Amino acid sequence: MARAQTVAPEQYVPALPKGNVQRLPPAPTRPVRKVEVPRTWAWSSQLGDRALPWLLPLAVLGLWFLGVEQGWLSEQVLPPPAYVYETLSDLFASGDLWINAAASLQRVVVGFALGASIGVVLGLAMGLSKTIEDYLLPTFNAIVQIPVLAWLPFALLLFGIGEPLKYVLIAKAALVPITLCTLQAFHQAPKGLLEAGRAYGFSRWQSVIFIVLPAAVPTLFTGLRLGFTKAWLSLVVVELVASSEGLGYLIVYGRQLFQLDLVMAAVVVVGGIGLLIDRGFDYAERRLNRGRTPAAGRLS
Amino acid sequence: MLNNSLTLENISKRFASRPGSTSQLQVLDNIQLNIAPGEFISIVGASGCGKSTLLRLILGLDEEYDGRILLDGKPIDGTGLERGIVFQDHRLFPWLNVEQNVAVALKNSPLSAKEKRDTVREHIELVGLQDFIDAYPHQISGGMAQRVAIARGLVNRPSVLLLDEPLGALDALTRARLQGELQNIWAKEKITMILVTHDVDEAVFLGDRVVVMQPNPGRIRRILDIDLPRPRNRSDSRFIALRDDVLSDFAELH
Ligand SMILES: Nc1ncnc2c1ncn2[C@@H]1O[C@H](COP(=O)(O)OP(=O)(O)OP(=O)(O)O)[C@@H](O)[C@H]1O
Ligand SMILES: [Mg+2]
Repeated sequence: MARAQTVAPEQYVPALPKGNVQRLPPAPTRPVRKVEVPRTWAWSSQLGDRALPWLLPLAVLGLWFLGVEQGWLSEQVLPPPAYVYETLSDLFASGDLWINAAASLQRVVVGFALGASIGVVLGLAMGLSKTIEDYLLPTFNAIVQIPVLAWLPFALLLFGIGEPLKYVLIAKAALVPITLCTLQAFHQAPKGLLEAGRAYGFSRWQSVIFIVLPAAVPTLFTGLRLGFTKAWLSLVVVELVASSEGLGYLIVYGRQLFQLDLVMAAVVVVGGIGLLIDRGFDYAERRLNRGRTPAAGRLS
Repeated sequence: MLNNSLTLENISKRFASRPGSTSQLQVLDNIQLNIAPGEFISIVGASGCGKSTLLRLILGLDEEYDGRILLDGKPIDGTGLERGIVFQDHRLFPWLNVEQNVAVALKNSPLSAKEKRDTVREHIELVGLQDFIDAYPHQISGGMAQRVAIARGLVNRPSVLLLDEPLGALDALTRARLQGELQNIWAKEKITMILVTHDVDEAVFLGDRVVVMQPNPGRIRRILDIDLPRPRNRSDSRFIALRDDVLSDFAELH
């Protein structure tokens, strides 16, 4: 114990001389004067901000309607929105949508969980040990350059055509960004704070838990979100190639029967679910970051 | 009685001027200083003359130097809770609020949870931030952040406290008050304090001795004994004479 002052805890005397200390008056609290913002103005600008994200999708939808109306493309190639909507409701009513979405979700959840855990462990191991990093990182960087589809023939032989194949390929897709971002978090650890930690006698683990990881939250979340996006994208690819259910399968099936309404409906569902989950990550990150703002700002 | 004498024996420090290059920048050259237990040392000197570097060495953050640093006659080995610091750049944790930032220094302290909480509160009150206990670093001003850093440096009650321009960002009134507090705590706790400052008045007001450093390479130019009774009176003629003496050193340097 490197504490020169050997004061037993029970003999603890407060550091500050009681009573005769002239304390500073409290710092002024926040100003109370509020600036009046004209009401109507605030309202309309708030509404405008909320509407912004919808403008582009609505415009595309409008273009779609218009295109069908004007007959720019034949109905077989570009089914009218109403038709796609009908197909979607049919899928929903018959339960097919749920069966396929559930199959896809299960694959992505299992694959993502697998990839994320291995990725975090790999990233942690490389972050904690320079030796491990030197051994692994170059090989890792080489392997990740190979796309999912290129692995497929080999993976097919190794894992067969069943579920494990899908889990492994999805896991691999998620693993890459998550490993790299976890490692990045260690490389970016704030040096000044690490030094402060050393001054307070932090052990290696304390430094990791109290400094490296909290500082890494934004980077780790970027990794998780990227990893999920990659997993979701490769899910569809994997299902396109080898499956008899799932959203990707719906797309293949629709294409084979030239039912582009079915393809479109499946695409809408894939995009919708992906977006929802991404929002979920965003929400979780903001909850974790509550109170603090990131050191980064936004150019305005 | 604490035995916290500090001896700096022939300290020299070089930095590679560029990573990988062989040419070196000599930042400290043969620093010699014996600091008695419970002494208050002020260090002044031009920007870049190696004051922060010297404090880093004493704290044990950087072990690549020539010479020896002895604490109670024993060479220091890395950092230790008996040596505390207030960094020049605060180094608050952005994800912790004021109270948690001060408590960080007590992570490895033997105090009970309640004692920790109480002493953290007391030190936050000492620097006048009791209304900002829940505020995060980005919500407080630079001077307030500096006060949080001071509270964090004191809370652990190190027997040697290194202060790197701790009052630089404060208004004159707050600064004068905190100088008084530092002196009170120093007198009560008998801790050894090493204060780096650009404020010659502050150096003379607080120091038993004032060490004047000069740059290129950083070395000790002169050591002045401040043989005035405490608390010191800034308008005392001897105080003014000593202060002008130190200031004249600066004038010659520039
Ligand atoms: N890690 C480093 N690598 C290379 N050079 C360094 C490093 N740290 C400090 N220096 C150099 O050492 C010299 C002294 O720096 P230091 O921070 O100790 O000055 P200082 O006396 O504290 O200045 P100030 O009063 O402005 O805080 C400077 O010239 C600086 O460029
Ligand atoms: Mg400095």
